[in-house]
Amino acid sequence: MAIQAPPEEVQVATKPLLQVQGLTMSYGVSDSENKILNDLNLEVNDGEFVSIVGPSGVGKTTLLRCLSGLIQPKSGTVSVGGEVINGPHRDLAVVFQDYSRSLMPWMTTLENVAFPLQGRGVGKKERNEAAEKNLAAVGLAGQGHKYPWEMSGGMQQRVAIARALAYNARVLLMDEPFASVDAQTRFDLEDLVIDLQSTLGVTIILVTHDIDEALYLADKVIVLAEKPATVVDLIETGFGDHRDQVETKADPRFVEARARILHRLRDH
Amino acid sequence: MTDTALRSKPNLDTASRPRTSKREGGRSRSAQLALNVLERTWLIVVVFTVWWAVSAGSSNVFIPSLESILVSLGRDLSNGVIASGATYSLTNLAAGLLIAVAVGIIVGLILGETKRLREIVDPVIHFFRSVPQAALVPLIIGAFGIGQGPKIYTIAFACMWPVLLNTIDGVLGVEPTIRKFSKVYRIPRGLHFRKVVLPAALPQIVAGVRVALPIGITVMVVSELFAANKGLGFYILNSSATFMVPETWAGALLVGVIGYILSLLFVVLERRILSWYFKSGAK
Repeated sequence: MAIQAPPEEVQVATKPLLQVQGLTMSYGVSDSENKILNDLNLEVNDGEFVSIVGPSGVGKTTLLRCLSGLIQPKSGTVSVGGEVINGPHRDLAVVFQDYSRSLMPWMTTLENVAFPLQGRGVGKKERNEAAEKNLAAVGLAGQGHKYPWEMSGGMQQRVAIARALAYNARVLLMDEPFASVDAQTRFDLEDLVIDLQSTLGVTIILVTHDIDEALYLADKVIVLAEKPATVVDLIETGFGDHRDQVETKADPRFVEARARILHRLRDH
Repeated sequence: MTDTALRSKPNLDTASRPRTSKREGGRSRSAQLALNVLERTWLIVVVFTVWWAVSAGSSNVFIPSLESILVSLGRDLSNGVIASGATYSLTNLAAGLLIAVAVGIIVGLILGETKRLREIVDPVIHFFRSVPQAALVPLIIGAFGIGQGPKIYTIAFACMWPVLLNTIDGVLGVEPTIRKFSKVYRIPRGLHFRKVVLPAALPQIVAGVRVALPIGITVMVVSELFAANKGLGFYILNSSATFMVPETWAGALLVGVIGYILSLLFVVLERRILSWYFKSGAK
């Protein structure tokens, strides 16, 4: 346990923004029951960047679907801002893994980004302005007239991120968001997300199977393993706001944390 | 470094995509068009030439020469006999198709979205769509009378099935990730139907309408073979009953031509409505 101890909690009094208590999830019934998640507990504070890392098939996506309200857990609760959710919630936005499938090809990128706001009853002018602003925030200023299929994969994922930002939720859930882009684009997108997080102060929970990515992005890494999945480790990275793809990944703390996670995953 | 990557990538993309497609289209467009027209018409020209030659001087009463068919067609076109009949028939067709499309899409969207309802109604749908529609014409007209209304209903009834079934299929084929998106972002039901499900299913729906079109034309003619005193079907029936065989042929030929023209118009309409679908390469 050589990893830096969490900096002595000063904000002990503040309630976590997102709280998961005793979350258990299984598919099927009684004897053929397949338990995926077992008594999971998580806390994510306002403005925090948390990655959830674990091997493929451990139940990360199931966890995220519970968090986003897409499925109801067998037992346990997910609450946002102290309110227990029982379905999709206004303060939870999701960036899906499949950018090419989550954007609607019959809408321009601007319409795609503005659409959830339309669903909330925001007027046309206002929602288009919000969409423009968020497209600019992800580096796609003035590209709103294009259709998603006129864009590269990386750009499409930027649009998906802009859409989530425009929704103005307090928590952004990202499900393996960079799994299907090439390495260089992936680094660009990672840095973009770090930038956005520090400038906009949005709370992010990102699910990934990539240990490096989990460590590089997050303030806190939650390691899931075993079957059914439980939290086997929790690491505070402590890299602060400034991160660099080369420097940070060579940082001794980074290397040590990676080794620790690898051990954890291997032991289970 | 991140910054340059951010900016250079979009530029690269704009440069490569739309411009090349424009250039390709520009240079050889007219030549390409001429070639396309030629490719699509040569066979028709050959068929008609052969028909003309073989049927010339035919002594069989039931197979008149193409020349006499065209002469009758020209005469009845110019004296307005066909025009009034065609107007009547095409009005019925348009009204019938419109009803079929509206009902097919609305019912299809509802059935596609509600699994339980679909399972209940499914056998009924497959029963009715398997019934030969033309066979129902005398029944419907017998039940509802000989006016224009029953003819329109018959066309609508026959055309509705392909639209309905394709709409259901299209709704079931909506990308699951887009459904998840719509749920997570709490898109209200009405907006979800109009802006998510309907456009996603539209390629399938349009394909259904394309299938419905020739069915509609057939039923349009058949509906006028019973208890009618107007329309293209009546023209065909009447001329046949009075042994004006060239007119019978002329009527059938005209219906074929109308069907062809309508299918061409439909392709134009399809390209319009589904431009995103064709351009995105989804097809």
